[in-house]
Amino acid sequence: MTVDEQLVMHMMEPKNYGQMDNADAFGLGKNPENGEKVIIYLSIGKDEDEPYINDIKFQAIGCTTTIVAGSMLTEEAKGLNLEGAKNLVNATLKLLDKLPPEDAACSEMVALAIAAAVETYEHRLEEPDFPPITYKIKSTCTPKEDSDENSND
Amino acid sequence: MKTVMIKVHEVWLEMLMAGFMSNQHKREFFDFADILFRHFTWIEDGMIRAGEEYSYDRGAVPIKVEHLNILIKDIEVRLSDIELQLMSLEDRALASRVDSDIKYMINVLTQMSDEVISAFSMNRVMEGYSLSNEARDALTLFLFEESYKEYELVLIYNYLKAHSKDAYMNRIFQILIDESMFHLKCFGDMQAKMGILATPRVVMKELYQVEDVVKFLKDGIDEEILAKEECKKLAEAVSKDNKELAKFFDFINNQENYHIALMEDALKHYQEVNGIE
Repeated sequence: MTVDEQLVMHMMEPKNYGQMDNADAFGLGKNPENGEKVIIYLSIGKDEDEPYINDIKFQAIGCTTTIVAGSMLTEEAKGLNLEGAKNLVNATLKLLDKLPPEDAACSEMVALAIAAAVETYEHRLEEPDFPPITYKIKSTCTPKEDSDENSND
Repeated sequence: MKTVMIKVHEVWLEMLMAGFMSNQHKREFFDFADILFRHFTWIEDGMIRAGEEYSYDRGAVPIKVEHLNILIKDIEVRLSDIELQLMSLEDRALASRVDSDIKYMINVLTQMSDEVISAFSMNRVMEGYSLSNEARDALTLFLFEESYKEYELVLIYNYLKAHSKDAYMNRIFQILIDESMFHLKCFGDMQAKMGILATPRVVMKELYQVEDVVKFLKDGIDEEILAKEECKKLAEAVSKDNKELAKFFDFINNQENYHIALMEDALKHYQEVNGIE
């Protein structure tokens, strides 16, 4: 990874890191290979009945790259409506497709955690006790010839 | 007691960070940080004895200052706040012991001279060390990764020690705490010199509230082996530019051998005592 000033800033002061009490929903992205995971917490606001991400926080068991990805993606997600958040996730995953799996794994984990949190929120509109969704990444952190296929939960 | 523990945790970290960024008062800050960490463990023991639930959660500890006296003032405020909280602590002997230390610390802190701080300049240059861009990037990533990891390990071993009555295990846990503290101090000092000092992020509960000690130790041994590899790679990356730095990372790499041996010893002992195959 080439380290520029922006990345260093995210490493020194990760944006939106921490737990959120009274979150409207949370979701998880997991790496089944090594137990690393990201939790995304959402606080949802309403703008003329349109739900949007009023606040977002994340926590991670993972490496510095995961923290940087969490810091950047949660900043981008803040203020988006739910469709916008899904578009952000899809755009990120498309970009990651072009990267080697070991470089994509951390950001994929964050993007999937955002998707899981948004979808959990949508389910909770119908079913308030709906459990948090967990998605597993398909990229692998360590380069290897034959990576296992991991389907999402 | 829970509030006191959180506040002591926060001021311990802030004192440690002050030690990294200071040139003139490093020893005092580090000594005081060590004392505060001991307070933290005593309060934790008190909570365990009282059967109170607790975690290592804490608030943010902002440290980005241009002058040391700003941070010193903040530490003084935090220490004074703890003094007030101590008044309601049931364990009066503990409260008095902590209070006495805090009074002395505040007295020393108020007499410290100011310093201009360069620990947040982000210039990623270490005086006297010449590094290529590639080596500098590798070192930057390593320092962020490992400074957090050492803080995490200090908390994990401390939690394990607090919840174990096995003297043999606790002796090993204490050595591992001391080793991680030493590494944390080395890496924090280097981060400050490179202008990239940062407070480690909060450690998630499930990492230190270990339910399966055998799995934790086995995974820990694997992680130490990986850490050795990272140190080796870094030593190679910086060796072209700087032999001294390469020697330092070889030294850290070799220390991991000792950690692995200790963890293997702990694993063997734990399995024997608990009749685990």
